[in-house]
Amino acid sequence: MGFSVALTPFNLLMATAGVIVGILIGALPGIGPPSGVALLLPLTFGMEPTSGIIMLAALYAGTMYGGTITSVLINTPGESASVVTCLDGHQMALQGRAGPALGIAAIGSFIAGTIGVVLLMLVSPALARWSLAFGPPETFALMLLGLTTVTLLTGDDALKGYISMVLGLMLAMVGFDIISGDARYAFGIPEMMDGMDFLPVAIGLFGLGEVLAGAEMAKGNAILQGRYGLRDVMPSATDWMRSRWAIVRGTVLGFSVGLLPGAGPTVASFLSYTVEKKASKHPQEFGKGAIEGVAGPESANNAAATGAMVPMLTLGIPGSATTAIMLGGLMMWGLRPGPMLFEKNPEFVWGLIASQYIANVMLLVLSTAFIPLFVRALRVPYTILMPLIIVFCITGAYSLKNNIWDVGQMLVFGVLGYAMKKLGYSPAALVLALVLGPMAERALRQSLIISDVGMGIFFLRPISAVLTVAALAAVAVPVARAVLAASRRRGAASRPAG
Amino acid sequence: MRTADRIAGAALLAFAVAFCAGALKNYTYSGPGGPGSAFLPFWLGVIMAVLAVWLLVGALRSRDPGAAWLPRGEGLRRLILVLGVTAAFVALLKFVGMILGTALFLIVLMRVLDRNPWPLTLSVAAATAGLNYLVFTYWLRVPFPVSVFGF
Repeated sequence: MGFSVALTPFNLLMATAGVIVGILIGALPGIGPPSGVALLLPLTFGMEPTSGIIMLAALYAGTMYGGTITSVLINTPGESASVVTCLDGHQMALQGRAGPALGIAAIGSFIAGTIGVVLLMLVSPALARWSLAFGPPETFALMLLGLTTVTLLTGDDALKGYISMVLGLMLAMVGFDIISGDARYAFGIPEMMDGMDFLPVAIGLFGLGEVLAGAEMAKGNAILQGRYGLRDVMPSATDWMRSRWAIVRGTVLGFSVGLLPGAGPTVASFLSYTVEKKASKHPQEFGKGAIEGVAGPESANNAAATGAMVPMLTLGIPGSATTAIMLGGLMMWGLRPGPMLFEKNPEFVWGLIASQYIANVMLLVLSTAFIPLFVRALRVPYTILMPLIIVFCITGAYSLKNNIWDVGQMLVFGVLGYAMKKLGYSPAALVLALVLGPMAERALRQSLIISDVGMGIFFLRPISAVLTVAALAAVAVPVARAVLAASRRRGAASRPAG
Repeated sequence: MRTADRIAGAALLAFAVAFCAGALKNYTYSGPGGPGSAFLPFWLGVIMAVLAVWLLVGALRSRDPGAAWLPRGEGLRRLILVLGVTAAFVALLKFVGMILGTALFLIVLMRVLDRNPWPLTLSVAAATAGLNYLVFTYWLRVPFPVSVFGF
């Protein structure tokens, strides 16, 4: 039924246009998926609701992929869900393998999106009930797990990983407190009262930080030249074998996390990276261009975006900023999301689900066709590319909210990103903490308000107990290992030599 | 690296203490019915202080000076140049405007840093500024700062 609605020539045209505009918008930093959808929402008002939402779904899929492109090519994430893609995707690009990185991201996203749509069709109503069982304690426990496993992102130095993460949480405290209304750590500066925006921070830490590190060398971070035919930029059989389980795991994980209101694609992508590094036979390759580190998270964030449609359609709870704007669109068309939507407007719901699927197909086709073109951008010599990336970072930071403050903030974090990179800290951990901080704090305080036993509430509810114990173990195990190693070293040093 | 760790450890410790003190002084630790706005900042400050002490003690006890993390000579000159020109661009953005500023920034960086030939420099600068104008100002209607010339 859904496909008969979605597969009209006009709707297909809208899906194609949505994907293309989406990729362009997603590749421009500063104009992330939420602003992209918001920019085009008014355009769709003249259309049938079904055509409109198809265009928006296609646009959303396109913007997610556009963010991946800049992450891989110039280490600048377009939105928070593609931050992890920088870790291995950009390393792959430096090794002349930008094509396979972009290819596996597109294929992984397609598979994840396809399975996600099937799951959405089959289990929406049942899952909606499950996601309701996820209260503030469970949400907090999940975020805690995401934050404490962050050291796995960082390589060797767990201590510096935790310092980066806590620093991110501290930065997340800046600005209006949602419960009391206090403007924390704002020092009377209006821009600070709004809090630290993720995007200028991420553009600075990753994009500008990387450029500064490359600027030291006369030739920059030389990107290996490769061949750029369609076959050369596609993932090889080996890549595919290494990625297939990462894609499957990423899909399942992503969809489950996507169902939870508020968690969304970002958490899904970080958790997937952690899982892949744990599951891998060669974890030492992560951070140095492991293709699983791109395949897993990219599948996860796409599956999560699909999963987020479940609470939106069945309960009217948006799972992310973008779905919130789409929800606004639904309401403007006079549609009321909620359990009744499936019964009252079936053609619309199934049209939307089918359009998600069509958007995924379109994305795969168009992105594959364009990958050689994107990869060619890397052939520009670094002496030209470097100033261009800086211009790109500055315009991106500015156009987010049209103010120079954000540009200054981006610059400061660029210097910090350079120092962090050189000194072995983890910009990714900082960014994750900054994104999750406000949500985690709200969930923590709501939990403590409803709790009669203080922190005990996290251990008394089954789901949150499992997640909390896992989160604590993630901290305790490396610490115990470090203490043991230190005592063994001391023991060895105190023994007389020979 | 060891010196950098010592400085970072001390700075983070000072920051953590100030963060805690600021939370307790200006915001409420515990409000009616639950934790207040100082609750999480205070504990984050405590955790950061512990981590900073850990880093500091490790760096003070370490005998290995580690590799230098800042470049020297030509590398340092390039780093300062790129950073300086970028900072100047950001500081002057309000007066030179985004489009004109972009062109000037590219010309300065491409000429001074790497001595790219003039024709190449000028065409890249003009093309980028033009594209910037088309996409952001014309299509997306981003209100960029403008120079006295109106662009």
